[in-house]
Amino acid sequence: MDQPQLRKLEATCIQEEAPQCSAACPIHIDVRAFMGCLAGEDWRGARRVLDRTMPFADIVGRICDEPCRKDCKRAEIGDPLAVGRLERFCVTTTPMVLKQPRLPAKGGRVAVIGSGLSAMTAALDLARKGRNVVLLTADEEIGGSLRDYTEEMLPARVLAGAVEILDSYGVTIQFGSSLHKEFFAIVRQDYDAVFLDKDLAGLASLPVDCTQPDPLTLAVGQDGCFAGGGSTENGFSVMKQVEDGRRAALSIERYLQKVSLTAQREREGACPTRLYTVTSGIPPLPEVLPADPAAGFTRQEAVREASRCIQCECMECVKQCAFLQEFNDYPKRLVRKIYNNEAIVQGTRTSNKMINSCMLCGQCTVICPHDFPLATVCRTAREDMVAKSTMPPSAHEFALQDMEFSLSEFSALARHQPGRDSSRYLFYPGCQLAGSSPAGVEQTYLHLTTHLDGGVGLMLGCCGIPAHWSGRQELFRQTRQALQAEVGRLGDPLIITACSSCYAVFKEFAPQLRQQSLWQILEKMELPAPKTAVPPQPMAIHDPCTVRHEPEIRASIRNLVKKIGIATKEQPYAGELADCCGYGGLMQFANVPLGEKAARAKGLRSDLDGLAYCAMCRDNIAASGGRIAHLLDYLFPSAGQEDPLLRPNPGFSRRHENRARLKQHLLTTLWQEEPAMAPAYKNIKLVIAPQVMELMNKRHILEDDLQKVIHQAEQTGRRLVDPENGHFLASFKPVRVTYWVEYQPGKQGFIVHNAYSHRMILPGDVK
Amino acid sequence: MSNFSFISATGWRCGCCNKELQPRKVNVEYMGSVFNVELMVCPACGMVLVPEDLALGKMLEVEQLLEDK
Ligand code: SF4
Ligand code: SF4
Ligand SMILES: [Zn+2]
Repeated sequence: MDQPQLRKLEATCIQEEAPQCSAACPIHIDVRAFMGCLAGEDWRGARRVLDRTMPFADIVGRICDEPCRKDCKRAEIGDPLAVGRLERFCVTTTPMVLKQPRLPAKGGRVAVIGSGLSAMTAALDLARKGRNVVLLTADEEIGGSLRDYTEEMLPARVLAGAVEILDSYGVTIQFGSSLHKEFFAIVRQDYDAVFLDKDLAGLASLPVDCTQPDPLTLAVGQDGCFAGGGSTENGFSVMKQVEDGRRAALSIERYLQKVSLTAQREREGACPTRLYTVTSGIPPLPEVLPADPAAGFTRQEAVREASRCIQCECMECVKQCAFLQEFNDYPKRLVRKIYNNEAIVQGTRTSNKMINSCMLCGQCTVICPHDFPLATVCRTAREDMVAKSTMPPSAHEFALQDMEFSLSEFSALARHQPGRDSSRYLFYPGCQLAGSSPAGVEQTYLHLTTHLDGGVGLMLGCCGIPAHWSGRQELFRQTRQALQAEVGRLGDPLIITACSSCYAVFKEFAPQLRQQSLWQILEKMELPAPKTAVPPQPMAIHDPCTVRHEPEIRASIRNLVKKIGIATKEQPYAGELADCCGYGGLMQFANVPLGEKAARAKGLRSDLDGLAYCAMCRDNIAASGGRIAHLLDYLFPSAGQEDPLLRPNPGFSRRHENRARLKQHLLTTLWQEEPAMAPAYKNIKLVIAPQVMELMNKRHILEDDLQKVIHQAEQTGRRLVDPENGHFLASFKPVRVTYWVEYQPGKQGFIVHNAYSHRMILPGDVK
Repeated sequence: MSNFSFISATGWRCGCCNKELQPRKVNVEYMGSVFNVELMVCPACGMVLVPEDLALGKMLEVEQLLEDK
């Protein structure tokens, strides 16, 4: 990722954009933070928010005409927040908390003509910047039109307080100045810049046309002259005075610095925002009105009203994704972390785990109003890590070895239908279905061969998606090529794909392969008479994440389900919005606890029994404690099958064995061929209690690994022994991981008591 | 984990040599980093014991640290 790519991605996520209220506020008060403080009874915090941005907060806070209110998101579902009344509550109950500093004195003499709020604001802002400011007015008091407010609304002493404030910043005020022509000539001579407050009687008598200041800079005809404030056709707006005073002060500051008056000023004044906040589902609480309108809010009333603030933000993707929740961040910040992680040459890459924990499922992209492509970013980052050899070996090795096994002579197979030498179709169940439900694969295959004409070949293997997800581009390419060559050898039949991950891989990376989803084929086919009763109560379909962009497959599933009499109730996060079960992106391998959370979260989207049509979704949700069946369990039940809803997760070892046995079984029964000789260590018989098996699953240790350890130990006699209980402890490092197993010979085989592993290389080990 | 000692009394004996394990300094290695640590080892044949709590505790921690370097 380079800088421009990073910038572009960062700009795609709008979570950090201003909420509607502050965007609509002419001086961008942080209304959301203000509401948050009040709701939390942090009175001083609320006042600090105002003091930070609002000039003369004691005055403006009392009379603000709240132009932001109409834009408040709550208006979409009911009453907008009473921003003005809450500001008034704040400044009348809490004195100033933050006095803005005055910068060191700089050159530049500025005359501010007038005494209204825009003049006051311009004078204050310029004085804070260290400019030498004189406020000249014919009046005898400060405030201009503000003096028209009732004593109740704006007490005279509060308004008069502005004089003290201006004084404290070194502004000289000359009341009673006479504003005639000659006076203006002197002013022009003595001062570098002039601001004219249009809230001033007699302005027209001055030899400068203030009627139409430039809207961006407020510059008027003469060089160095600016004008603003006053009433418009819409009447007198307090915030317009503040906005113009501030805008003119910024123009004058630029004018004195001799820099562009116009560059980069789009964000001044009310401006649009791209922040996206969903309001559906938020209760439309009515506005809280003060019991005594004249007295304004009590503390309790203020808290209740401010608590109605939604605290607008986007976070739509984070709200749904287990990965984003775990890392507690939104994509804009994550891409920066990924960028920084890539830039590290020496030192700890703290974001590796995060990058490997994304399920690459694309749910966020569908949810995001701007289609943030987080999956692509994370996958590309993995490819970059692999290329630079910075990918942690432990993250994906186990899954890649599993894939290697699926592709090995022990599990892989490609044959025409028995007794035929050509295939019109090729059934491709995929590695995970073969591992999870070998009987289901067999039944399905037999059904396809008896109902389709022209020969149905069978291919067992792996589409290579683990290589793709783990950033191993070269391995992925090789796997795909080998598969394509194999399909070619069988005469390019139409592939019947059972697994939606395989389907996605073929579609995107091998578009020359012709394929159709198993479900679309079955939908149009005669189905076997049901042997297992389908549950009478409705079930929730759990679409896998890989069919998010395959509406036809999802529709076929629903037709099939209906056809066999299963009642269903849709849950909201199905279809395009489907969650990943944790297998996606190999997340469950790189981050075991998060994998469990993701599976549980997916299962919990509905409290009905689940119905899956992806083997990994089925098994992961079952492992997380959910009641869930695979559609094939109802379509093609095998003899003596247990209740599909209670079928346990086979776990990694069983999946491994299932694939090997499926191949052996089909080779001998259908093709009458001899299976490959299993290596000698496979003769080691193991007896493993369920809790030890579960431990092995979590620790990514296969029975196969333990057979190797025990075989080695028994052959060489190299093992530790505990004379107290007769247990042995032995270790072996088949490839990169050293496995330890505590065992004991028994009548049925070797009883496994414990198993663990490490990657550190011990003396005497082969490196 | 260099200069760490992971010795603790153990009931495991070497099955080949029928000897009690004894503390000994050995080099373990991962991702190009070598650590000299004290483990329980058979004094005759050098067979090393890595107990479960070490493998899943300190060792794992260091492995992960090195993987992110
Ligand atoms: S709900 Fe709160 S944050 Fe959102 S626009 Fe209204 S005041 Fe601002
Ligand atoms: S959905 Fe997520 S990525 Fe998209 S703008 Fe919102 S927070 Fe950012
Ligand atoms: Zn020994």
